[in-house]
Amino acid sequence: MLKLAALLLGVCLFQSTPSEPSEPSEPSAAAVAGASQSLSVAEAAAEVDRIFERSWQSSGVQPAAVSSDEEFVRRLYLDLAGRVPAVSEVRQFLADERSDKRSALVDSLLDSPAFVRHFTILWRNALIPEAFNDLSGRRLVPGFEAWLWTQFSSGVPYDRMVRELLTVSLDSGGLDGDGAAAGSVLRSASSPAAFYVIREMRPENLAAGTARAFLGVRLDCAQCHDHPFDRWKQGQFWSLAAFYSGFRPVDAEAGMSAVLAERRDSRSIAIPDKDQTVQAAFLEGEQPDWGLNRSAREVLADWVTSRGNPWFSRMAVNRVWALFMGQGIVHPVDDFSENNPPSHPEVLQLLADQMVAHDFDLQFLVRTITRTRVYQLSSRQTHESQSDPLRFARAAVRGLTPEQLFDSLAEATGYYQPYRTDNPFVISAETPRATFLELFRDEGDSPLQKETTILQALAMMNGEFVDAATSLENSQTLGGVVEFPLMTDEERLETLFLAALSRRPVESERTAMLEYVRQSESASAALADVFWALLNSSEFVLNH
Amino acid sequence: MAMQRMSRGRFCGLSGLSLLGASMSGWLPRLAAQVERSGQRPPRSCILLWMSGGPSQMETFDPHPVHENGGPTKAIETSVAGIRIAEHLPRVAQRMQDLALIRSMTTKEGDHTRATYYLRTGYLPQGPLTYPALGSVVGKALQREGSDLPACISINPFRALNPAAFTSGFLGPAWSPLVVAAETDADQGVSFQVRNLKPASRLSGGQVDERLRLLGVLEQSFLADRPDAPGRSHLQSYERAVRMMKSASVEAFELEREDASVREAYGRNPFGQGCLLARRLVERGVPFVEVSLNSVAGGAGRGWDTHADNFKAVGDLCGVLDPAWSALLSDLQQRGLLENTLVVWMGEFGRTPKINENAGRDHWPGSWSAVLGGGGIRGGQVWGSVSEDGMEVRENPVRVPDLMATICRAMGLDPSATNLSNIGRPIPLADHGAVPIEPLLV
Repeated sequence: MLKLAALLLGVCLFQSTPSEPSEPSEPSAAAVAGASQSLSVAEAAAEVDRIFERSWQSSGVQPAAVSSDEEFVRRLYLDLAGRVPAVSEVRQFLADERSDKRSALVDSLLDSPAFVRHFTILWRNALIPEAFNDLSGRRLVPGFEAWLWTQFSSGVPYDRMVRELLTVSLDSGGLDGDGAAAGSVLRSASSPAAFYVIREMRPENLAAGTARAFLGVRLDCAQCHDHPFDRWKQGQFWSLAAFYSGFRPVDAEAGMSAVLAERRDSRSIAIPDKDQTVQAAFLEGEQPDWGLNRSAREVLADWVTSRGNPWFSRMAVNRVWALFMGQGIVHPVDDFSENNPPSHPEVLQLLADQMVAHDFDLQFLVRTITRTRVYQLSSRQTHESQSDPLRFARAAVRGLTPEQLFDSLAEATGYYQPYRTDNPFVISAETPRATFLELFRDEGDSPLQKETTILQALAMMNGEFVDAATSLENSQTLGGVVEFPLMTDEERLETLFLAALSRRPVESERTAMLEYVRQSESASAALADVFWALLNSSEFVLNH
Repeated sequence: MAMQRMSRGRFCGLSGLSLLGASMSGWLPRLAAQVERSGQRPPRSCILLWMSGGPSQMETFDPHPVHENGGPTKAIETSVAGIRIAEHLPRVAQRMQDLALIRSMTTKEGDHTRATYYLRTGYLPQGPLTYPALGSVVGKALQREGSDLPACISINPFRALNPAAFTSGFLGPAWSPLVVAAETDADQGVSFQVRNLKPASRLSGGQVDERLRLLGVLEQSFLADRPDAPGRSHLQSYERAVRMMKSASVEAFELEREDASVREAYGRNPFGQGCLLARRLVERGVPFVEVSLNSVAGGAGRGWDTHADNFKAVGDLCGVLDPAWSALLSDLQQRGLLENTLVVWMGEFGRTPKINENAGRDHWPGSWSAVLGGGGIRGGQVWGSVSEDGMEVRENPVRVPDLMATICRAMGLDPSATNLSNIGRPIPLADHGAVPIEPLLV
């Protein structure tokens, strides 16, 4: 019954009329459905799996096997801690005989600072993707990360986090002073100001950014004119932009230092090159209730984050789903439209309703997704029908973020990372980490299409960092393995595999590698070569 | 430090590579056949001389000696009767028959960040779309299959003004520029290196081979059941990297193979030697090379951003630019390469015609100059003009998409051909509505 309702709702939501009210005082059908059916993590995960099983069955898909513990432990550490597990962590998990050890590991990783740090990086990428494009944006990244860190470490619900971002006061954020001074303030301040600055404080950029990031709607194309096949019209775009009209246009020459105090009561905006001024209105034309002394941004934030706003919860679910599955149920992740229907609308709706029912608790969503069989499938393809990523019939093979890659290299090789103490998010430019992040920074937005450049390959093959990590004198891991007296070569080999790939070698690998070690004049040097090969392998540099 | 080229023998038999190659054969297109086909088209290349910071048109290609805005800068005759340029570029003036001056560039972008993006990609920054730099676009269109060297090579870029303007954007990392930085040594002078091209010196050639062989073992067991794009790209980039490590083509970077007189002619500085390197790369079929002139000394910076002391600063920069550019053109011609090599000179905008109180010129996007020369260009002419005070374009205004379309056409490319973007929309090489400047084209 629930499923049917969810399915119907999923369809209705795409056809809702512009006049449909969705004020908090009049909760929409979606919110009612969510509120009436609060499921536990296990129940929600089982429901998701039932939907997938039916979908596989009806389309003749044979899903991959469930992942082995070795596959699972590596994937989960990468997804929740942002790095591969240490050898001891792999061994501990493999030896654990509890039947619920997978969800127990999820719980313990969600409690760790590593999770906070990793989610901080993922959400920074999602919310200010253009931050690395210029110097002024880069300066603001550490402050933005510090702000996200606070949100995730104190378990702030997603709706409150977004509300804070959309309503943050920028008057005292150092934005109105001299450029350099503003930079130093924001460098150490914990503030979401970067969201505004990288969009140049322009109402049109902020409207487009808000719609994409939190509603999953791409309005950008409606900015300049109406497109015949697009649902969103120019007037709608500028009505949303009007909520940000309190920011005066920035003088291009003077850059950000020209931003003056925000006019809180500004509620209309002129469409450029057109003799027309539009009033602020929500996405589908709903009129705001301005109340008393509320700024336009506060009114907008209340609407965006309201429980009855179906765009908001579905977008959140889709984003988190994509983080764990490599691809959204709607793909690209922020492109909900009639022309781009979800692959599994029932799953989307179910999780969106549960997200609302659980008061926008991101951890609930993470626990549910990682609990599903569909997340826990192996990435090994055993049947042709598993090749379409839209089916979610095997785990996706995904690129790592630059941070995941470097932190995994550090973990695998025993490199100890020095951090600055005033703000751990400020990374000194000369460190190996900064060099690596710069080289591996990716413009692409789909981890399923991750590509490697020649310079990246050369850095992994011949660069100083990997070279030190695979030299007997400088590598913690390798040095430890080679010098530990009580190990056989086979045990040494196994340890290196566990350090890099979180698994033991398969028979053919064991044979080939041991033969090489035994034939070599120096077994230690040969093990260094093996370690080099492990760190340079696709299996190491990808999540799978 | 002199560059030590890796001997082919170090990859004896290329056992590691061939093992990597064997595991790829099922997925990758057969390269050999494509190499044969592409041999029929004469290779075209483009060299972009990028002037970081926005060069003054008044002190380079559009002097105004009779107006007060012209300042002290004199105009000189060139090899083409009737065309006069600024006194700072006497050698380039003698190559005017190869060059077409555009004196009517006009945009609305007076901010370094946006303008750098605009001129380098042909598009204004726009939300989620990450436009590729011109070099990646041209490189992708003209790369020859099986080439050992990357399609787009960027020499001494100063990227801080807008790092996104120096990437392959939605074309993906396969087309991202290979960045080469100059190193200056008291004894050896200027040299260039591709970072990390050589394995650590303690490794023997045999050991490097063995490492690649072991890597092949791992790749085979992992990728056999996971035929997905990221793994394929990983393998492909390793294959390209190894091919470059062992390629004879990397001797392009060994400038010491040139006669001292040639190196001298270009100027013994990072920009001059960068132009020489560009010629050596074009000779080896690289479709796109850019050389940045960031400062007189060759370090990072936006040297052309002459808000103060404009006349001396531009004169000094031209002292580096003039010999390098003129040597490049005559060298290309002597080697029969000029016909197929387009040479573009531009920055992100021009400078204010009015001289400010610091004897400087500020940002000026409204009316400024760019230059096209060599392959595909009908040289010895001027396109467009500005008013006597230099404040506005008087005839034939050229917008950025028009410039891009002209560059495409000179390279034999259709400006309306498209690449698929990251948001699934096809994006033409030059923006919609672009009109190539026909009279400048051969």
